[in-house]
Amino acid sequence: MASDPDPEPQSDPQTPTITDPLTNEFATLNDLTHDLDSLHELATRGSWRSILDKVARARALSFLRKPHEHLTYLAFHVIALSKLRRFAEASAELDTLDDLDAAHYLYQTYPNIYPTRSGSMVPFSLRWLHALLPIKLGKRQLGLDRFYALLDFVRSKLELKDGISGNIWKKREGFVINSIIGHHLTNKEFSVCLNLIQFLLSSDPSNPILISKLGYIQMQIGDLESAKSSFNRVESMVETESEVELKNLVNRNKAMVYMVGKDYVSAVREYEECIERDPMDVVAINNKAICLMYLRDLPDSIKVLESALERVPTVALNETLVVNLCSMYELAYVNHSDIKRTLSNWIARVAPDDFDSSCTRI
Amino acid sequence: MSSTGSQAQSQSQSQSQGSHSLAFRVMRLCKPSFHVDPPLRLDLSDLIAGEDIFDDPIAASNLTPLLDRHVANPTDSSDLSYRTRFLLHDSSDPMGLSSLLVLPQSFGAIYLGETFCSYISINNSSNFEVKDVIIKAEIQTERQRLLLLDTSKSPVESIRAGGRYDFIVEHDVKELGPHTLVCTALYNDGEGERKYLPQFFKFMVANPLSVRTKVRVVKETTYLEACIENHTKSNLFMDQVDFEPAQHWSATILQANEHHPHSNSQTRDTFKPPILIRSGGGIHNYLYQLKLSSHGSTQMKVEGSNILGKLQITWRTNLGEPGRLQTQQILGTPITRKDIELHVLEVPSVINLERSFSLHLKLTNHTDRELGPFEVSLLYDGLHEEKVVMINGLQTMAHCSINDLPFWILSIGKHSSEYANELYHRLQHLVSQTSIWTSLLLNLEFRESPALQCSTQERRNLITLCQTWRFSWIWTNLLASFA
Repeated sequence: MASDPDPEPQSDPQTPTITDPLTNEFATLNDLTHDLDSLHELATRGSWRSILDKVARARALSFLRKPHEHLTYLAFHVIALSKLRRFAEASAELDTLDDLDAAHYLYQTYPNIYPTRSGSMVPFSLRWLHALLPIKLGKRQLGLDRFYALLDFVRSKLELKDGISGNIWKKREGFVINSIIGHHLTNKEFSVCLNLIQFLLSSDPSNPILISKLGYIQMQIGDLESAKSSFNRVESMVETESEVELKNLVNRNKAMVYMVGKDYVSAVREYEECIERDPMDVVAINNKAICLMYLRDLPDSIKVLESALERVPTVALNETLVVNLCSMYELAYVNHSDIKRTLSNWIARVAPDDFDSSCTRI
Repeated sequence: MSSTGSQAQSQSQSQSQGSHSLAFRVMRLCKPSFHVDPPLRLDLSDLIAGEDIFDDPIAASNLTPLLDRHVANPTDSSDLSYRTRFLLHDSSDPMGLSSLLVLPQSFGAIYLGETFCSYISINNSSNFEVKDVIIKAEIQTERQRLLLLDTSKSPVESIRAGGRYDFIVEHDVKELGPHTLVCTALYNDGEGERKYLPQFFKFMVANPLSVRTKVRVVKETTYLEACIENHTKSNLFMDQVDFEPAQHWSATILQANEHHPHSNSQTRDTFKPPILIRSGGGIHNYLYQLKLSSHGSTQMKVEGSNILGKLQITWRTNLGEPGRLQTQQILGTPITRKDIELHVLEVPSVINLERSFSLHLKLTNHTDRELGPFEVSLLYDGLHEEKVVMINGLQTMAHCSINDLPFWILSIGKHSSEYANELYHRLQHLVSQTSIWTSLLLNLEFRESPALQCSTQERRNLITLCQTWRFSWIWTNLLASFA
């Protein structure tokens, strides 16, 4: 397999770069790890079963030479199994690794392969999966304990790092905290979520997306006044030159306020403004359909969802939208199994491997 | 296998004429929810390279542009991949709260004080048009039958084959126990036959809260403690809990000042910690201070049961779904009727030893009969001197001793016609009993009142008496007892 031709990387006199393409190990993904480009491509297409095959083949035929390649392939393997909801196998695979802090996962243990590098070669996602998998296997408390321990681990690393590395670990801290908030939210442990979001906002106070999420949580609790004030904060941050994504965020927040006030007509109007600006705004599309239903317009709500699936399937095809559409079918048709089966067949042709088809409730 | 989704238990009964062209489909329309699902999405740098690779400056500077080329951009319409299901885009994506709404997936529980809202769709699944459809929707409870919808005045002219007529009904739930949504349709079918289709959807209404109250009276203030317990399956946001006092009462809520570690002036607006009562048994306490707004003169206090007022509770659940309840009248402890009230009006802030001082008391008789005598005595420890207490309006005098310390009790009566004489004799007697010269502080008011009428001569005698003897009183504790 030949690697794709790539233009020479720009060289910046400030930062040390390698300008010789023959020895550049970062020109393409394949230079980093054997066949990584293909693995990445398959992952973005959602072809997780193919990834399992690929990993098995690479191992069987000993394509993997360097220690870090084994780890990368293992990570893809664990993720693929998780995506396919085969959590027990994913967990077993992860357990084949020893203690992640062991010496043989350090770059400096192999000075002839990594002459200039030191530190851990374990992909961070493995640590994250190590905390996530118990939750998926029903051992929620164990998983949460691991997440909090992971947060401590990240924070101890943050104290030692700076520069680009420091930024990466800072991003990882946010990654872990946001994951923790998500798991507490699933269990409706709202007070913890509010505290954690407040912590995130204390170092990132002008993050409109984060403040909007605070607003959604406040709305979910029922604290409508606080939610409105959060959304007002977001609106004050957005100007006419802001990106489409941000403008749509403001409109969607407004729509939610109309919705809880039962002014579904105004909510629909806000969502239509979003869709006109960005025809792929699937949140606006989905929520608009829901508003139409509350306006007693079941036929149109069904049309909105069906046309989105037809028009922009790769964005619109998500389990929540399908659940909503199926609920609408069940209400609209006495014999709804036929129409659901049609939908289900279409999904089977188009959907990625990780799509959970139990959402059609057939 | 089809699930009932959000439809309530349906039992349809058809007439003896056979099957119906029409059928009701019902779905409870409580508010939708935000879909929450922490996703299995990653940052590419956390997957394809070691976690410490960025410590290597060469790796750091080269890896970053490589990764940037593969970053997920959800608004790129030319990208036909499922990239957004795999890679993270925004730092808050791992939370799994995209604000995607999801319809209620089950009927759920419904509680007293909430609003029952339902989407009702009547479908014509036959191949023929039906005409003159009279549709009715009612709620039947143990006590009553409430009409929610009735198209008798303007029947639906026709529903074509495969067509449908939809409506949404709302009902504020004010009773507990079994409820039935009764949907009926009276129509002419394809053959012109007049048919009647009833369908029944049952649900139970449960009690969401219990309120326990405790009333405590401290002096003039009544304290009401209310404990609200949540019996529902969701966390309840207490939007408003107001105590509405009964007539003549005023109420203020007492709240602790809470300090929060993360709150600063910037965040304080959006972060007021909400009062959230945990599902399935969580509680929250409220404390109110109640005062009787009594008018000075009209004093007669009502005996017996004492209505304080009631609590108005508004809670919200998912996406602000409201519920409202009012408690019964809350009763306080019956006011104990005090016949006599004693108030200290004035007492000096500094009292010097061996110097007399005056203490102003107000004694009020709330009954309509004469009460007395009023006795004032001294509680003493340590000193072995005879001490005397003198009261304005002297009426009687008694001698007693406590702990073998002799002291005199002078008490007051009302309207003694021999007032001045009596006083004179008492004082003489007193002086003959004591062996220590002390100064007498007489706080007598010689007013123009029948009780104090005395002749000029008697008055002069009294004054001489006063100037002759000097009595002093040292007050330590004043113990007032009254019948």
